[in-house]
Amino acid sequence: MEQSSTSALLQGTVLDLASDVVSALRGGDHARAGGAPTTDGAGGNIARAAVRVLGADALLPTTLLRVPPDPGRLAVFREAVTAHPPRADAAPTVVWSHWAMTRALRRLDDPLPGAPAGDEGTEPGAGWLEDAGWQSLTHQLAVLAPLALPGEECAVSRVARSRPVDVARGFVRAVRRRDWQQAAGAGRWLTLLDGVPDTLGLETGLDFVRLMGGSDPRVALQLEAARLMPAGVLL
Amino acid sequence: MPSTDKALDEAAGIDTVDIEAALDPVEPDGVFRDSRECAGLALHSGGGHMLLSPPTPRPKKG
Repeated sequence: MEQSSTSALLQGTVLDLASDVVSALRGGDHARAGGAPTTDGAGGNIARAAVRVLGADALLPTTLLRVPPDPGRLAVFREAVTAHPPRADAAPTVVWSHWAMTRALRRLDDPLPGAPAGDEGTEPGAGWLEDAGWQSLTHQLAVLAPLALPGEECAVSRVARSRPVDVARGFVRAVRRRDWQQAAGAGRWLTLLDGVPDTLGLETGLDFVRLMGGSDPRVALQLEAARLMPAGVLL
Repeated sequence: MPSTDKALDEAAGIDTVDIEAALDPVEPDGVFRDSRECAGLALHSGGGHMLLSPPTPRPKKG
């Protein structure tokens, strides 16, 4: 099926944004990574939408490395949270993604207007994840990889911690299916979980995912996050 | 560039559906490796922990 030009433009912008984050995580071009995107007109709409799609990971250099966010970039992040709230009937991953972005702002002590300081907001439910089979669990966790952070305490991370073997199985399945994005996201979660089987060979697996899929900035972002995770400390 | 301008004009009304589809993607169809590729992966692992092993051989029909 042919992609609409809007959708293609959005995906391209997401890839550019992910590349910027990867660069910052590698200790490279922080200035560009923190640079302010266009905020006016159609370009601004695309930028906000792309930040909404990349989610809380748009601020990952700040979250993991304490790189101060550019005020312009932070403003776009806030606008993205405000402009694209989940609809009432939105899928759980959409709701959780939005929650994660709000959480990221609170970590910066920069909550949205109207939200009382210290109020974590209503945490969405994770019942759909608790009941998921290991294949679906891994897919959903990979989509919600921005929640895979050291010290993160939420319902999704609790489910992940309770099912390390299932996530490990899902990681291998993703590699064998050549779903590099899912494999990288699952690998990022696995770096945080206790009880992952040694026989998995996670480090080797992540190297392989990098070799095969690392040219995709979204994959590279998850791999960089996984690389930094053991030493990462949340703000 | 006219095509970029047109795309940006369309983007002014960016659809929530596009965003939500990106945030709730359907798992893509898998492309499983064949045995030779899996053997290559095993070699790639360099003798340490093996990530992948070839699938169990199955009897051929007929």
